[in-house]
Amino acid sequence: MLSESARMSSAAEARFRIDAPNSRPRTIKVIALDQPSERVIKDLAQRQWNSATFFTATAFGDAPRKGESFAGWLSDLAGRTKNLVEEINGADLVVMVAKAGENAQAASIIGEACSLKRVMTTALVLGGNSISDEVLSKTLAQLRPWSLMLVIASAEEYIADMLTALRA
Amino acid sequence: MLRKEQNDLLTQTGPGTPMGRMFRLNWVPALLAEELPENECPPVRVKLLSERLLAWRDTQGRYALTDEFCAHRGISLWFGRNEDNGLRCPYHGWKYDHTGQCIDVPSEPEESGFCKKIKLKSYPLIERGGILWAYMGPPELQPPPPAWEFVNVPREQTITTKRSQECNWLQALEGGIDSSHVSFLHRGDLNTDPMFKGAKGNQYNLSDSRPFFEVVESPGGLYIGARRNAENGNYYWRITQWVMPTFTMIPPRGDHCVHGHFWIPMDDENCWTWSYDYHPTRSLKESEVNAVRGGKGIHVTTIPGTFRPVQNKDNDYLVDRAAQKAGKTYSGVLGFGMQDASVQESMGPVVDRSKENLVSTDNGIIMMRHRLLRTLKAMENGETPPGIDLAHQRVRSAAVVLPPDQPFKDAAKEAMIAKPGVAPATV
Repeated sequence: MLSESARMSSAAEARFRIDAPNSRPRTIKVIALDQPSERVIKDLAQRQWNSATFFTATAFGDAPRKGESFAGWLSDLAGRTKNLVEEINGADLVVMVAKAGENAQAASIIGEACSLKRVMTTALVLGGNSISDEVLSKTLAQLRPWSLMLVIASAEEYIADMLTALRA
Repeated sequence: MLRKEQNDLLTQTGPGTPMGRMFRLNWVPALLAEELPENECPPVRVKLLSERLLAWRDTQGRYALTDEFCAHRGISLWFGRNEDNGLRCPYHGWKYDHTGQCIDVPSEPEESGFCKKIKLKSYPLIERGGILWAYMGPPELQPPPPAWEFVNVPREQTITTKRSQECNWLQALEGGIDSSHVSFLHRGDLNTDPMFKGAKGNQYNLSDSRPFFEVVESPGGLYIGARRNAENGNYYWRITQWVMPTFTMIPPRGDHCVHGHFWIPMDDENCWTWSYDYHPTRSLKESEVNAVRGGKGIHVTTIPGTFRPVQNKDNDYLVDRAAQKAGKTYSGVLGFGMQDASVQESMGPVVDRSKENLVSTDNGIIMMRHRLLRTLKAMENGETPPGIDLAHQRVRSAAVVLPPDQPFKDAAKEAMIAKPGVAPATV
């Protein structure tokens, strides 16, 4: 007689896996940290997503210093000002997108807010394979302390693939 | 999550499939050299990439990898007589040489030249590092022999085993890419397994079960870095290599061997798991060889005369619930290799990835799939996939402690290149 494992891992049994949703849409916030990333994010936002929303942290220059208000520092892609803490509240994941070699200083503020709210962070660095290690290192140094997962991707379409894989 | 058509694209490797074409452009491990131990030894059935083949070694020691079946009536040539520089079908005596060329059809007059019109499909089969490697792609694109360090060090420095695994190759590979499962599935074994225990790095692993990850594209595939806290604000990095399509190298621990895997499709629902251990600068100790033979480390024990694990789905992998409850093993299954295989086989022959819920720490898997899909598209435009360039094969994994501001990609750059006679970077 076949063991339970042998019987249950067959192709025939795989047909009986319950065909019902096993998750609800996750709330994912995607934030561009610099101008080149903002362009990528804008293209991405045109696609159909379950619950991903897109922002930019580039429009207001330098990130607020400690003790300063977060208000007015983040905006959506239509240019409307958003409150960082309110946006992060209730998010399942915050994805920060940076172009290698650009200033990713905003990561520290976003990361700190995520840390406070216990929200997972992922940082994506685009174009990391086409610039010098020294320049890339500067961007990474700004992102690393605030990213549980850090990905250096050569192709912009990776962001879409990642968000799709995460059911964003 | 992958859509069904993407899943099919990545998991199907038979003749004519895009992923099968990628595999066929590489030398793939087909048999252990010890399976064909001498000239005129019995032939061995081999199923690779959904093709039924026969491996044999002729009177002069030439290796052959040919269609398993006689061109006459479809008899399996596994019953053939390996004699006098050829393999003769026992049914009607048709005989083939190591290239698959028919050289004798006893029922036809020799003068007719009929046998010259009969040729079995055959593939080049070469020996490197105790492994017989097959090339199943177009002859004009055949690459130079494999340059992986573990097959090019002296034989006393390397050992390889293989086992069958009853699931699609990609499920198994994804386990090799996924560093975050180690702290759970394998947590009971780091300090006891003879191939791992005693390394200082183990303590970093065990004291920090929530590592930070960095996934970086490499020329041949990916570097997957897992970062944990070390002393004085430094980071302990473990950097795994994935080289397309299916090679992985796990970071070493202390002075233990360096090890890793290939997962080679037999067909779309089964694969061969190849597991190697080697040391770049010293011979393997007797205790290490015995540990490998005894199924320790990433290896498993197999049923004598076969490559099927002793722990397999027919006996529920000998799951020990008492050991699980006592914390000796996390899943109740003994040994790294079978802990991986048991969970991967439980997903079914080809898992439906449209139902999965990946999370941020799965970016290594997401990026691996992304790179494979991107490469398949590039191959349509005639590009050569990564992994074939010998420089992509001369790589090493690494375990290092680095200051917090140093990217592993830069700081460990030299450590991730295989250099003959240079010790591995390990903690």
